[in-house]
Amino acid sequence: MMLPKFDILTIEQVDKIHKNSMKILNEIGVEFSYDPVIEIFKKHGQRVEGHRVYFDPEFVENMVEKAPSQFTLHARNPEHNLVCGGENIIYMPGYGAPFVYEADGLKRDATMDDYNNFVKLAGASKNMHMTGGTVVEPTDVEDEIRHLEMAYSHIINSDKCFMGSSSGYEHAKDSIEMTALLHGGMDVIKEKPALICLINSVTPLKYDDRMLGGLMAYAETGQAMVIASLVMSGSTGPATMAGALSLQNAEVLAGITLAQCINPGTPVVYGSTSAVTDMSTGSLSIGNPENALFTSASAQFARFYGVPCRGGGGLTDSKTVDAQAGYESMMVLFAASTTGVNFVMHTAGILQYYMAMSYEKFMVDDEIAGMILRYLKGFDCDSDEKMAFDVIEKVGPGGHFLTQKHTRKNFKLEFFRPALSDRQSFDGWSKDSLDTNQRAKLKWQEVLASYVPPALDPEVNEKILTYIEERSKELLKK
Amino acid sequence: MNAIFEEIKEAIIDGDEELAVELAEKVVAEKIDPVQAVQLGFIKGIEEVGKSWTNGEAFLPDVMMAADAMKAGMDVLEGVLAAGEGEGSYEDKGKIVLGTVEGDIHDIGKNIVGALLTAAGFKVYDIGIDQKAEDFVAKADEVGAKILAASSLLTTTMKSQKVLVEYLSDQNIRDNYKVIIGGGPTSKKWGDEIGADGWAETADEAVELCKQLLN
Ligand code: B12
Repeated sequence: MMLPKFDILTIEQVDKIHKNSMKILNEIGVEFSYDPVIEIFKKHGQRVEGHRVYFDPEFVENMVEKAPSQFTLHARNPEHNLVCGGENIIYMPGYGAPFVYEADGLKRDATMDDYNNFVKLAGASKNMHMTGGTVVEPTDVEDEIRHLEMAYSHIINSDKCFMGSSSGYEHAKDSIEMTALLHGGMDVIKEKPALICLINSVTPLKYDDRMLGGLMAYAETGQAMVIASLVMSGSTGPATMAGALSLQNAEVLAGITLAQCINPGTPVVYGSTSAVTDMSTGSLSIGNPENALFTSASAQFARFYGVPCRGGGGLTDSKTVDAQAGYESMMVLFAASTTGVNFVMHTAGILQYYMAMSYEKFMVDDEIAGMILRYLKGFDCDSDEKMAFDVIEKVGPGGHFLTQKHTRKNFKLEFFRPALSDRQSFDGWSKDSLDTNQRAKLKWQEVLASYVPPALDPEVNEKILTYIEERSKELLKK
Repeated sequence: MNAIFEEIKEAIIDGDEELAVELAEKVVAEKIDPVQAVQLGFIKGIEEVGKSWTNGEAFLPDVMMAADAMKAGMDVLEGVLAAGEGEGSYEDKGKIVLGTVEGDIHDIGKNIVGALLTAAGFKVYDIGIDQKAEDFVAKADEVGAKILAASSLLTTTMKSQKVLVEYLSDQNIRDNYKVIIGGGPTSKKWGDEIGADGWAETADEAVELCKQLLN
């Protein structure tokens, strides 16, 4: 049994915010820059002026209704198939960071080597359910063909599910084609979705061409997508929590409505990365209670609308793997996980409000993820063995349990075993006196060195490589 | 001293755009010395805000609203100042064309840079997001700006900053402008690589950079 997820908003608050969002959609409207989308909304009888669409609330509710409350995302290895929605939670590495920060504080551009490494670390981790997408921005690969190289990294380095490109119709199509080759054809993945992407609104109240092109490609082929809004409360959105949440909610509902217009029943995830603006610098700030609140409220809204939720992560504003990185990340990931988020991009590796990935941070977040996954399992009261009356009776008053078979068997099943935290005595620890950052560095090097990627059918590999080669030629010619 | 100067200063400190415009219109209508209105009103106000910002007492909305009020009021006075009315003359600290490069729509950072530059006494022409090299140059030529400031937040659009510098060289007008760049994924190294005249990590540093370049 999983721990019951708790609500943070009252029914009255949900109702007020929902109505506020509907009023925004109806009276202020949302701008879509992509002409084909405007045609779709016109066809569905929505009021359109130029590129602005004014939604009928009932229409939005009906369309959102069509989205599945959960769906299965298929992996190359069926053991790694994932159910997105319900009680489930899916963890994966950070997304989109252009920099890597090293253990000694060095800042450098992320590369394709880093990309492969993070995919491998996620492949090796028992706490990362997927290998994610855009785990760093590999700046040493030309951007015309970057999406091909990135998708290939996920395909060859692991057999877990992964995310595809959403930057424009063409790039999205490439990721989908490659995934189809991996799974034995477009028909197969149309039936069994195997790819998911991230579609972002442009807050406030806009969707741009590139994202809409991506959205069309995924919706047409029945692949899954996260439709997310990032309101920077105070700059791209109002400085009140209720206002920012209403705005985010309106944007996400507009996106989900569009996806359902294109392909009713296509799997979507309600996404939020809303957080606050630091009012002294203007920068986004993500390691804070407000972000945790936005995340939990989003999970509740997703439940309200009957769709899975994306939000949260191991999120921090720190530039290095220090106490701040730890406590901020734990707060946001814990809040996300205990209030019902299903899909957690940015679970591991992020430093400085999405700007950087860190190997050491990845290992720290992996540990946090393990702790939370254990926490989520809660108490097991299902059997007499778990209730342990017999062994309590056997030991009786004043004895100890260390030499009981019951103990030997059950501690392994019930206790979280840290991979990174140090529980030694002072003397034990002080032999090397390594702090978390230093231990994490040794740890990821060790994990990478021993990781063996699961073999890929050479024939399939060949097909995918040929596809990449041909597309690269075309794309680089342009 | 005319009481209106104090009112202007307060309007700027409050970030009251409407009032700043209204007062500027009064200056024009009543033929009050515009140079004095600028120096004893607008500039005094924005200097005050700048001081609180430096001390960490003011926050972004304070500075940005003050900058907006300043800009709106100064626009009203532009005509009379250009006509050389008033005692002495008023000159801004320098003209800067600011924009987000082609393919990029991130604008929060750019807006903050614009506001702080305005608050520091520069005349900023913000051409908006997704702007081509030609657009920067066209605006600069129209208003006589010497600095082109280009913001980019994506690794994929950083190359548009390079394109800007190359465009100037190709047109044989590289020496007519100083190019400065910034935005999340950019770095000093990148600035040097593309031959920009400067890079800054924060808006405060951008102000210092412009002061140096126009000295
Ligand atoms: C808010 C945001 C958005 C908003 C933008 C809203 C808006 N109106 O600007 C939305 C949601 C629309 C958006 C869209 C996208 N974004 Co975005 N976004 C961000 C985010 C979270 C914050 C940016 C921001 O405003 N920061 C606050 C300001 C104050 O900081 P700043 O811009 O760096 O500016 C400061 C300095 O850099 C400097 N400065 C800025 N400009 C200039 C100019 C000069 C001349 C000088 C001297 C100095 C200077 O001064 C400023 C003040 O100190 C960043 C991550 C981050 N933490 O930065 C991602 C981020 C930049 N986005 C990213 C991406 C990938 C995208 C998208 C492609 C989609 C996506 N997956 O989210 C689209 C692209 C759209 C497009 N074509 O441009 C990536 C970029 C990665 C990369 N490859 O480079 C980032 C890093 C997030 C991530 N890890 O994925 N985004």
